[in-house]
Amino acid sequence: MADSFTIPLRPLVEQQDRPDTLPVEIAQINKQWGSFRDVNEDVLRSKIAEEEARDGAPSEDDDQETSDVDTTERLEQLYKRRADITQFAMQSHMETMFALDFISLLLSKHAPRQAETSMSAFLKQVAPVGSLNSEVVNPPPKPESATKDLSIVSRGWRTQNFNSAANKLLNASSRLEGEITSETRYWNEVLAIKEKGWKVCRLPRERQALGVQYGFLEATPVFRDRGLASLRRAEDGSLILDKGLVPSGSRFVRVRVQQGSRVSTSSNPTGSNSTDTETIEQRILQARDSVFEEELFHELVREARSMASSGVTTRENLIRIPASDELEIHLDLVDSNDESLQADQNASQQDCVLADGLAHSIRLLLAFAHRQNMQRRTQTPPPLTTKRRHTPEYHLLRPALAYLQHLSNVRWLESYFSDIFGVLRSSGLEPPEHTANTFSTWKQIRLSPSVPTVEALVEKFLGPIESVFRGKLLTPNSSFAVTIRTNLSGPPLGTLFDVSFDLSTVSDLKSPGRLGLKDEVEAAITHLLLLDVVSNIASRDISTKNVDSPDITVSKMRKWDAVYPHLGELLMSSENSEKHRKLKVSLSRSELALSSYFVRNIDGVGRGAQERPSLHSQPHSWKSPPTSTSTLDDNSSMMDFVIAQAFRDE
Amino acid sequence: MHELLLFASVPVHQHHELLQQLAGLTAMQPRHSVERRLIFKAYRKPGLVTSRVGGSQDLQQSGDLQRVNKMLNGGMFYTQVVGPVSESDFSPAAPAADPDTQMEGMDESKPPVQGTSSYDFEQQPWKLEFRDIPEAGTRSAVTSRVMASAALPHGDIIPSMNAWGYSFVTEYVVEGDVFIQNDIVIYLHRVLHYPSGEQEHREPRRHLPVLKEMTPLEKSGSYVLQASVNVQDGSNQETMKTASQRLFGLREQLKSAVRLEQADRLCLDTRAK
Repeated sequence: MADSFTIPLRPLVEQQDRPDTLPVEIAQINKQWGSFRDVNEDVLRSKIAEEEARDGAPSEDDDQETSDVDTTERLEQLYKRRADITQFAMQSHMETMFALDFISLLLSKHAPRQAETSMSAFLKQVAPVGSLNSEVVNPPPKPESATKDLSIVSRGWRTQNFNSAANKLLNASSRLEGEITSETRYWNEVLAIKEKGWKVCRLPRERQALGVQYGFLEATPVFRDRGLASLRRAEDGSLILDKGLVPSGSRFVRVRVQQGSRVSTSSNPTGSNSTDTETIEQRILQARDSVFEEELFHELVREARSMASSGVTTRENLIRIPASDELEIHLDLVDSNDESLQADQNASQQDCVLADGLAHSIRLLLAFAHRQNMQRRTQTPPPLTTKRRHTPEYHLLRPALAYLQHLSNVRWLESYFSDIFGVLRSSGLEPPEHTANTFSTWKQIRLSPSVPTVEALVEKFLGPIESVFRGKLLTPNSSFAVTIRTNLSGPPLGTLFDVSFDLSTVSDLKSPGRLGLKDEVEAAITHLLLLDVVSNIASRDISTKNVDSPDITVSKMRKWDAVYPHLGELLMSSENSEKHRKLKVSLSRSELALSSYFVRNIDGVGRGAQERPSLHSQPHSWKSPPTSTSTLDDNSSMMDFVIAQAFRDE
Repeated sequence: MHELLLFASVPVHQHHELLQQLAGLTAMQPRHSVERRLIFKAYRKPGLVTSRVGGSQDLQQSGDLQRVNKMLNGGMFYTQVVGPVSESDFSPAAPAADPDTQMEGMDESKPPVQGTSSYDFEQQPWKLEFRDIPEAGTRSAVTSRVMASAALPHGDIIPSMNAWGYSFVTEYVVEGDVFIQNDIVIYLHRVLHYPSGEQEHREPRRHLPVLKEMTPLEKSGSYVLQASVNVQDGSNQETMKTASQRLFGLREQLKSAVRLEQADRLCLDTRAK
């Protein structure tokens, strides 16, 4: 078989015998219009006018008519025309019926039963069946010229028909060829998409069209259904991603962190800032990203509304979250290729990191929520009830906020500890180091085989965050612990400080337990440290001569007695009732202050009105040096002061 | 609770294909499940267990309780005790039965473990599943029946069941895959019998045989596709209608693959005669 076998579709046109037909045509014109000699301008003009009159008249008439008639006339005209149409239809129907009757009558000669069905009742009455017959009559022979003409005409007809058929076929073939190339291109692109791993399927509502699924199966139904776009074919066969009525631009959730007056903006996480949407793959990716971002914003708004009690406000397209005193977070959905949204270049690095971190974390948490939905969906469902199941808000903002809140609390506590221990250290005391185990709940690794590692990791962020500070005190066998627990996912909302003390020297000391306010925590710990300092002083035997005052050379043992440890008061009793000496210790975040004075009292234990400082005694006081200059060269340590005061009563 | 069901028979050659189709339809991977099922028969005459009268339950709950009590005590029923197991609970196949590993000498590194499995009968959780005979004369094209289930103590449940008036009849294993879609539990499963060589047990087995040696009840190995929806309140016409609508929807979707239909009521008769 020949692989390509072409058949000419157009009929061969015979070369005409007489190539020069001009004389014939001239003769024809002479015959039809007269001699060329008679042609002049007037004749031609009149001819042209005549033709124009013939062509132009009807259209002018139409114009006239439409402008002249008013509505009633038009209505009349309409009725008339309709009557005409009806009449015409009736007439044609009648004629058709006549023709049918005629044919039926003619046929009834040969097939009476069949013909009878199509005969009208009237005809059946009037004419008996089979009363009309036909015969083939040989026509009289035609003259020779007529047959020749006929054959030429029919040949012309046939040639013309062949030509038009050939044209149609050739058009069809070229059209098909175009179709084939564009179809091939279309299917190749579809295949390319499929090979990249996208799910290509039939559209549920439009069975003939193909669609690509790029959305997230576990998203809220509104967004899940939007994750399907049809793949349409352009004229040239290239793919068009038809998302329906959804606007095509890509959008993203922008996170802005406002620290005081500075505003830092998170970068576009999808990275598709460029308008490079050349390939279909990129367009699909962009569509996927923007459907994800829109869902993210939708869920954020939903969650923000439920967090109104935490001061979160939502406007039409903006969520404002006060994270801490200084920090405010703004979330909004913006067009990714909006030039006016370029980030401030002078924003601080740290804030940018925070904004980016926040942006990433809410996205991670949404992906996690999707996984949770999947897990929920594939569990054995509860029995059907009439109650509608409420879908809880996802935890997107709450874990992030909890982290920020926790972090600010931890930082506050750290700075407080560094301050107060700095005060103690600068006073010459040597407080033992304290240890901080921040975010301890995140460090515990609980990997169960039933939960994938990724989910186990993210799940930790949803639970309460805990940080523990532990430390020993100056008094032996004493310790304190502060646990900060932040939980925004469930009650109790907010941050709680769990403060516990263990101070052996003060028996009636109870741990304050759970505290909600920073001030309370500060007060509690300051008080504990005060007690610690007091008991440390009280425990010290003062017998050495290693004192500043050279005039004192006493070698007997002395001891400060902590009479009111909770008030920071110590007493050095003396045989002389006038010479009881009191030492008052006060501790605050910024300084440690001691003052000593004589009290005139029988035993020196009384307070208030009974406690009268001796008239002639100047109170001596000592203050811790500023922590910044922690050198003790120019200032004696607290203990030196304590010892010195112990021997001052002489 | 009510249970609405549709069934279809799936020949073994269609099983794999249907699994894939169902995975696509439900957008989830099949959850393989193997369950031990123990059959118990009530032997005590009804009326011996009297429900507490004058309790301060609210009306709804007491109505439910009464119904369950009536179900459990009114007639005599077979009930099922279902215990989920995993494939690793079954005895591992004897190495001799697996010529491939022998030939490749894979087992030389570790000594073959004969007939031991991690199966701990004492830790086996159980669930009591009661199913009534399907309702008669419903015009709806789904099977609907009253059902109730309750958790039982772990391990040996024969004493508790005996105390409740049930005697052990027999046991078998059901293996299959579960899909969930739109509140419908789609369970593609088949019943396996214990190897016939063993003597008849009078109580549940404490060790499970090799899974591969279990013989399917249906000799050709075909599966049953069961689609079920549970309804909390069977008297609520609206939810019952919703549930059957969902089943019909699933039937439409699976029309080209399998024909889900109502089961013969008398085949699902659980009454003890």
